[in-house]
Amino acid sequence: MRPEDIVFATVMLPLLGASLAFCAKILPKGRIAGVVEYAGALVGLGLPPLVLILLFPVVFSGQSVSGVVGQWFVGVGITFRFDALAWLVNMLGYTIGAAAWVYSLGAGPKGPAFTGVFLIQTAALSATIMTTDLFNLFVCLEIMGITSYVLIPTSRKPGATLASFSYLMVSASAMVFFLLGTYGFYRLTGALSYEGISSGLQAISSSDTMLSIVSLALLVSAIAIRVAVMPLYGWLPDAHALAPHAVSAVLSGVLIKTPLFALSRILYLFPFGMEVGELMGIAGGLTAIVGVVIALSQEDAKRLLAYHSISQIGYVVAAWGMAISLGVDTPAGTSLMVAAFLHAFYHALFKGLLFLSVGTTVDMAKERNVYVLRDGIGKLRDAGEKIPVTFIGFVVGALAISAIPPLNGFVSKTAITYAMKGSLSYYLLSMAAVGTVASFIKLSRIYWPTRKRGSLHLETGVSLGTGSNPQSKAHGLVARLTAQSALAVLCIAGGLAAPHILTIVGTLLSRGGTNSAVPPTLYSTDNLLKTGATTLGGILLFFIATSKIGSRVLHTIRNRPRSFQGLFVSFSLGTAFLVAFLVVGKFL
Amino acid sequence: MVERVLLLCLLLIGFWGVVAKKNIIKKIFGLNILNAAAVMLFILEGNRIGTEAPILESGLAQVVDPIPQALMLTAIVIGVCVTALALALAVHLYQITGSFDIDTIRERVKDEA
Repeated sequence: MRPEDIVFATVMLPLLGASLAFCAKILPKGRIAGVVEYAGALVGLGLPPLVLILLFPVVFSGQSVSGVVGQWFVGVGITFRFDALAWLVNMLGYTIGAAAWVYSLGAGPKGPAFTGVFLIQTAALSATIMTTDLFNLFVCLEIMGITSYVLIPTSRKPGATLASFSYLMVSASAMVFFLLGTYGFYRLTGALSYEGISSGLQAISSSDTMLSIVSLALLVSAIAIRVAVMPLYGWLPDAHALAPHAVSAVLSGVLIKTPLFALSRILYLFPFGMEVGELMGIAGGLTAIVGVVIALSQEDAKRLLAYHSISQIGYVVAAWGMAISLGVDTPAGTSLMVAAFLHAFYHALFKGLLFLSVGTTVDMAKERNVYVLRDGIGKLRDAGEKIPVTFIGFVVGALAISAIPPLNGFVSKTAITYAMKGSLSYYLLSMAAVGTVASFIKLSRIYWPTRKRGSLHLETGVSLGTGSNPQSKAHGLVARLTAQSALAVLCIAGGLAAPHILTIVGTLLSRGGTNSAVPPTLYSTDNLLKTGATTLGGILLFFIATSKIGSRVLHTIRNRPRSFQGLFVSFSLGTAFLVAFLVVGKFL
Repeated sequence: MVERVLLLCLLLIGFWGVVAKKNIIKKIFGLNILNAAAVMLFILEGNRIGTEAPILESGLAQVVDPIPQALMLTAIVIGVCVTALALALAVHLYQITGSFDIDTIRERVKDEA
């Protein structure tokens, strides 16, 4: 079997699965419809990882599969490229996608329509990272967007519909500007494939440089909205906090990272790509710290997690941007890119786990406020969990995000800070790490026991008695716990097997088949001391934050005005600033 | 040149509608105007090298660039999908809150949560 023949399976299989799921929707409800739906999910989420395993030897040896979709001529058809980057992002997407879908069997939203839309989203993710055609990227991003506008309101919360609407408006408007950027490049070069455009741009006159700068800025800011980097993050907290837990896990695990890595393909090739990377790297560092400060102020458990997604994507963007500004073929650039991907992947694992475990807890307790909800373990036990798997999942996730060894978060955060030691972002990220520890101490309070257990026990017991039949509930419990344990195991394994994983990812991302990344020293005294200092700082910050003055400051941050218009103002200002930065960089 | 200026006006009107209008249905109109401006810009671009429709017949020489037209067909389809979805969300918001005004919706949604 030639690799050319099977690369498209990663896009086509989920679409096939989605069509099976929609067939299940028109069948009368019953056993057959269920079997067809599950078969669709198996085809869409189970088979593509096998295809990826088959493709591993190809990408590991430094080769890539590229060509034109449908055997058209170069210059007319859509070009694609399946390389190590595409392989890694696909792996990330399918791991989290499968875990989230299994979880959704237990906690909802259930049904063939959900499965179908979910699978289309997975296909779009895979296509986004493979495409090397600007207009095709537009289409893929729109499909990804449309499926998330559909999936967010499936939680049936009123706020989720509003969040989805705001996201739709800001993202669809930004995509029009993406289209204008595409127009600019097509006008300048007459090409749409990345390589065609970049070779065309070599020949343009200096008077056209301005148009290419503006076009690039439009593309980058439209994608930056999806990535939710500062200052374009305004849509994310509501959408991620109010979506169903399984969808939240995918949104913040996969959906905000895929466009970022797809953007790196553009920035590698286009002029001014390095400068854009530099600016986005700094924006990433700022995002990390602003995100964590706002997260610390939140009282809604899931919204706290959503702001942490912004903060953690800041880490990824900081490393990613610096990698691009250094040049990805230099050893330093490659090690930063490895660190960025590793953190994206590990963040997807532990944030997915946190969304699922905290989501389960707030569902069982029917209370989302961090200041009110207590005794989460007791609530889970009342809901039928003999062993507190959900609690263990939370602990693993929280320790991982706070970068406590030997969990995976420690590995990726150390890899990032090791590679960027001494730069401005390094200090920003170190401060953000302190805030992360503090806010997770705050969040862990939802599991603290209370004295008045008896009365609470009675209440939950009554409300559970009126639930659906016990058999389907047990079934749901198994699905939920399986998904959470799988992610928890992956978090621990990702930490323990770190040296091997670093080597593999390093080899994959060095374009030549040999590992040119500088391996970080993980368990040096320095790093362990730093972790200890960060943790102590976090505990200290937690006590400051719970003091009287601290709570007043946090209250002010939490209740800062947020408006629909603000999303557009920040988009316009962000784009203008990017253009100004590039122009000043060119003429000075 | 005058076409481009007009298209810029159309683009700005659309953007203004999305940002400044309080009524969410009007915001969706604004999004459509914005989209239409981008589509027409591409069509105008294809017009630079010829004016005939790009349907292959013998004796046609001055055809427009067909690629922008193909692209814009796709973009229009996507625009229709987004509009349909936005309207569905708007109807749902109206059912929940009884209003199309974005500020009122925000307040009432906050009360429900």
